Amino acid sequence: MAQPTPTVRPDDFDSFWDDILDAVESLPLNATMERLPLRSSPEVDVYEVHYDSLDGVRIAGWYCLPVRRDGPLPALLQLPGYLQDPPIPKAVARDGYAAFSVAPRGKVRSRTQFDPGYPGLLTHNITDRNTYTYRGFYIDAVRAFDFLRNRPEVRPDRIGLTGSSQGGGLAIAVAGLRGKDVRAASAGAPYLCGFMDAIRLTRTYPYQEIGDYLRTFPDSAPAVRATLGYFDGICFGPRISCPIIVNLGLRDNICPPETGYSLFDAIGSPDKKLYPYDGCGHDAGRADHDSVVCAFFAKHLKGEEGESDVA
Amino acid sequence: MSPDAAVDPTPRPGDFDTYWSAVLKELGELPAAVAAEKIPLRSNEFSTTYGLRFTSIGPYRLFAYLSVPVGEGPFPTLIYLARYASTVEVIPQGDADEKRGRFAVLSLAARGQRNADHPWTAPFPGLLTEGIDDPRGYVFRGIVADCCRAVDVALSLPEVDESRLALLGANDLPLLTAALRPAASHAIATPDLFHRALERAAHTQAYPLEELNDYLRLFPDRRSKVAATLAYFDPIFFAPKVRATTLLWGEEPECESLSRALAGPSQLRPSEKSRYKDGLFQEEWLSRGLGFEDAILPAHWRD
Repeated sequence: MAQPTPTVRPDDFDSFWDDILDAVESLPLNATMERLPLRSSPEVDVYEVHYDSLDGVRIAGWYCLPVRRDGPLPALLQLPGYLQDPPIPKAVARDGYAAFSVAPRGKVRSRTQFDPGYPGLLTHNITDRNTYTYRGFYIDAVRAFDFLRNRPEVRPDRIGLTGSSQGGGLAIAVAGLRGKDVRAASAGAPYLCGFMDAIRLTRTYPYQEIGDYLRTFPDSAPAVRATLGYFDGICFGPRISCPIIVNLGLRDNICPPETGYSLFDAIGSPDKKLYPYDGCGHDAGRADHDSVVCAFFAKHLKGEEGESDVA
Repeated sequence: MSPDAAVDPTPRPGDFDTYWSAVLKELGELPAAVAAEKIPLRSNEFSTTYGLRFTSIGPYRLFAYLSVPVGEGPFPTLIYLARYASTVEVIPQGDADEKRGRFAVLSLAARGQRNADHPWTAPFPGLLTEGIDDPRGYVFRGIVADCCRAVDVALSLPEVDESRLALLGANDLPLLTAALRPAASHAIATPDLFHRALERAAHTQAYPLEELNDYLRLFPDRRSKVAATLAYFDPIFFAPKVRATTLLWGEEPECESLSRALAGPSQLRPSEKSRYKDGLFQEEWLSRGLGFEDAILPAHWRD
């Protein structure tokens, strides 16, 4: 399944992102939290959160805390799929984590200042790395991580990342951008990895948005390729140092598994494990893999050793 | 008595037929006023894509993507009804784009969804309980009307083959729509929103049904009102009027009575927990049903 990828890591990839991280470092989060009685339960307190991100865009998220807690909590940042409306992560909080589910720019509740739409978000300003959608989108996810890291009820050294599809791609990006501050990450069916391979390997949305764009503006191909190099999860791979698990569906019709293999090869962490699921599509074996993810985070964030097959 | 009344704890509202007749009457008195605009970016060598705007009850202006195959019609048509999410795509994520060269595809943005979110934006979560205290004000009264309107609009297009019209959606709406707009020849549904909603909500903490639990936790005295409203939307009460050939995704025994109650031919199929296996089955079922020997599959589903 693994095959050579044409994804080329730009020579200035690290400096591009380090400059952006430096720029946002001085921006205060100005986070607000409002407890929502409608969504809270006897077991879980639910808060609606807003904070500032790149370009002054206000970002929303759901924050869930177990009502009963003793001392600082391990935390999980839950990252959303491309079309997914970020869910309220009550189940994660019931499992003993501080859980944050972020809505990066353009999603419901984070779209008043930036809203290229669906379809459309994937190609918005795709010929310019300095204004491309995912420059801000990735930083919104990084700032969600920072939100958790700054919470007094959270253990800052026990924060994990989890997501599937675009959520998997965002987990890769945040793990690369926050490096050693991330304790563990799980990426399922990662999107945003091997963009240019994906549009060759499959003709399905959402990658098809790029195909549509290149068909309409064929002269833009070099600029598109150049921009995407700065946002490709494969290029973030060498910056990842935390324990990480990646699960793929070998019949994935949305995020081709070939791109997942290329990503996995590029991940720099020595503590990495790949879970390929035959006979599975974009679910990437979720029905079986959920227990692996639970055990993985229990080990790395809670310090529990289980019997499950974990990295 | 309904054949399922002994099994289903929710009684059929006495004015069920009157309620829906009033909705359809309201819809019938309102011109759809369809306006179409070509979308070159989403058109390709085998299909042309349009953005449609049309009016449903309220009055409320809706949106739909319409993709029409290049060549001589009419074409078998797929109508993707409102899914429980804010976004709507030209064709569902993961479907082979080449399908748009075989089928006309209409993807509805119901009220509150993207491109139909002015003046009102649907909350997610929150849509399931919007106005739920009163069946006349419940948001899904309008959304079901929106689905019916999408069928009306499709049937008004010369490119649409009226004899091969499939309603699709990963919830109950295809069943409700097929009952109210019996022109549909096929339907694919997953009755996980309204079928025995309160009963199932009591056994889950997962959204969207958790919205009902949230609401009743905060407003416990409204349970009877909520139950009364939801009864107008349970597909079990629409089933005797669903004549379309139906693929029902669901488990036995939860959906067995619903499957049996459908008037047309139906197949109840449990998920194999694999989007590949389920997707492959659905594509082949639908293609055969609409008269094709083969299904157009995405690259990674082909042998």
